Amino acid sequence: MPDFTIKKVIVEKGVHGQALTNKILTRVKGIPVQTIDEVETGKRRDESDMGKENIYLMHYKGEFLKPCPGTREYICCGYKILNVGTNCPLDCSYCILQSYLNQPNLRVFVNLQQELKQVLDIIDNSPDSVFRVGTGEFTDSLAVDHITGLSDIIVPPFSKRKNAVLELKTKTTNVKRLLSSKYRDRIILSWSLNSPYISAREEHKAVSLEKRLKSARQCQSEGFILGFHFDPIIFHPQWKEEYLKTLELLDKYIDPKGVIWISLGSFRFIQGLKPIIRSRHPGTCVLDGEFIMGLDGKMRYFKPIRIDLYSFMRENLEKWYPNPGLYLCMESDDVWYKSMRWSPGNSAGLSDYLNKRVDDIFK
Amino acid sequence: MEIHETTDVLVNLKDIDDRPGPYCMSFGFNLRLITQSIKRIGLVNSPFLIENGHGKLIIITGYRRIQALKSLGRDKTPCKILSKSDHSPLECLLLNLYDNIAIRKLNDVEKGMVLCRLENYINKTEILEQYMPLLDLPSHEATSLFFMKLEKELENDIKEYLVQGHLSLKIARMFLGMETEDRMRVFHLISSIKFNINQQGQLINFLTDLSRIHSKSIQEILREHSFENICSDTLLNNPQKAKALLYQLRVKRFPTLHQAEITFKNKILKLGLPKDIRINAPPYFEGPQYRLEILFKDGEELVGKIKSLSNIDDLKELKNPWEEEI
Repeated sequence: MPDFTIKKVIVEKGVHGQALTNKILTRVKGIPVQTIDEVETGKRRDESDMGKENIYLMHYKGEFLKPCPGTREYICCGYKILNVGTNCPLDCSYCILQSYLNQPNLRVFVNLQQELKQVLDIIDNSPDSVFRVGTGEFTDSLAVDHITGLSDIIVPPFSKRKNAVLELKTKTTNVKRLLSSKYRDRIILSWSLNSPYISAREEHKAVSLEKRLKSARQCQSEGFILGFHFDPIIFHPQWKEEYLKTLELLDKYIDPKGVIWISLGSFRFIQGLKPIIRSRHPGTCVLDGEFIMGLDGKMRYFKPIRIDLYSFMRENLEKWYPNPGLYLCMESDDVWYKSMRWSPGNSAGLSDYLNKRVDDIFK
Repeated sequence: MEIHETTDVLVNLKDIDDRPGPYCMSFGFNLRLITQSIKRIGLVNSPFLIENGHGKLIIITGYRRIQALKSLGRDKTPCKILSKSDHSPLECLLLNLYDNIAIRKLNDVEKGMVLCRLENYINKTEILEQYMPLLDLPSHEATSLFFMKLEKELENDIKEYLVQGHLSLKIARMFLGMETEDRMRVFHLISSIKFNINQQGQLINFLTDLSRIHSKSIQEILREHSFENICSDTLLNNPQKAKALLYQLRVKRFPTLHQAEITFKNKILKLGLPKDIRINAPPYFEGPQYRLEILFKDGEELVGKIKSLSNIDDLKELKNPWEEEI
């Protein structure tokens, strides 16, 4: 079970009685439930307390399917985000959500069940496009799945579509519901990985790398396609030795043939995140590197450092398996060439590359 | 609560406890103006006092007026005295608060003082909803806690510097995140060399990062020769010292970037570019392209400069500085 507790469930009046709300409430027996008129929006939170132990069940008024907020200055993979909720019960020191979201608490959008049809219509109306969709951008895809059961709702329809894949990204072992489902096709289970040094020091409340990979192995053995994300890669003492340890674990537990892609992304952050990290995680090492302001206004490692990090990872991942589906998250053409030895040229090129991976693996 | 009309009584100044006391919300003020005013037209509004039960009178309002009167050598002044049994500490506090906000804006430390004092009598929600707006502050708990910390945790010298406008609230926040000794060392540096507000932020950021990276206290870092030499260099004025210190700190904080900048600079120097031709790197070498600048008077001069440029063989060898063989 996850290494965090939910202490309170707060239900917006408008979603009371909805099917998903009712299901969730039956799963949180024993946890105090409070009903409120409407979840306040735009209210600035106290940065020290992100309300990670409270779940809000609420109505989401925005669009459920959105393009990943990439910037045109760097090559973006063209991912689509299925916005099922925000915030995360895990507490990684480097997490962008600490400054990206100005709303506290875990928020679960229980009107997803009704709105999903619109999302599926968008997908069905563009049969020639490939929709790579994920839920792990603004939250961990599976951390509270034992409570929300969202995978029950979203996995079946995606599994049936031939022009879409659904990627569920996590740092947990919360895969029980998925394993008990019958759906495998077009579903990608992904784990975020880091070095053991970073994982132990900075990924608070996430399970160990070994547990993540054991869980991934179990999912792989039960027919799921896997993805991995080394993001954020963090420059730290003995980073090479440390990342190699993770690659050894990957080799120990995972069959690379069943891996659709492995992304690499170095740590980047908006400037406002730095004081929040310093205050919430005083002992962190994630801010120690040489960060410069990137073309998108975010702080990122000085280019030769990024090239070193990526080159090292590529070299060693390719030793593990010659074609592991590596790609860089939000990087420039020259960094691609220098570290990956090729470049998709632009975001459309990267989309094509990843779509082909989808076609090849889900034939 | 309402203060009923109270008659003035003449009070001996020596009978008044002139320490700031539990109701005072004045910090970092200048007595000159109020002293001049009293000297010229006398005391317009009488201070409010309350008995402390031990024979002394405590100031509720008029702390600055009492100080001014003392500095003018007066020994008696008209005051309004409230009875302790009729007025609770909260009422006295609110009397002071409303007396102050009716006539002036409180500075940031004073806002912290108000919140700290109110905290003793009023619950958090009421403070956030009723009193934060009164102080021109947003009703956020984090803001309230920050202002209270300013009052409780910062040393008086730093608070003075803040209310004088030499420090920003952002810098004060950074100070609050530091150990006391480190904070005082940095404050001493900032106030003696007179770093401007932008430079203060850079200085604290560099020092905080370096302290963490090298597992050294900020004091230890500043004791290094390169920094001490700059501080004690009598040939440098303050702005030059500030600039030199920040440069040294940047070199230490960004060694790879600094090395790249030096390598690039040397490479360009070695090229021996004709006069009025410059090659610039993109900011932090992040963008993919370098920029060539040629200043020329007319087409003929431009052609000449392009020709001379094309004769520089080493130009072809120009590459990213980290790809250069050193």
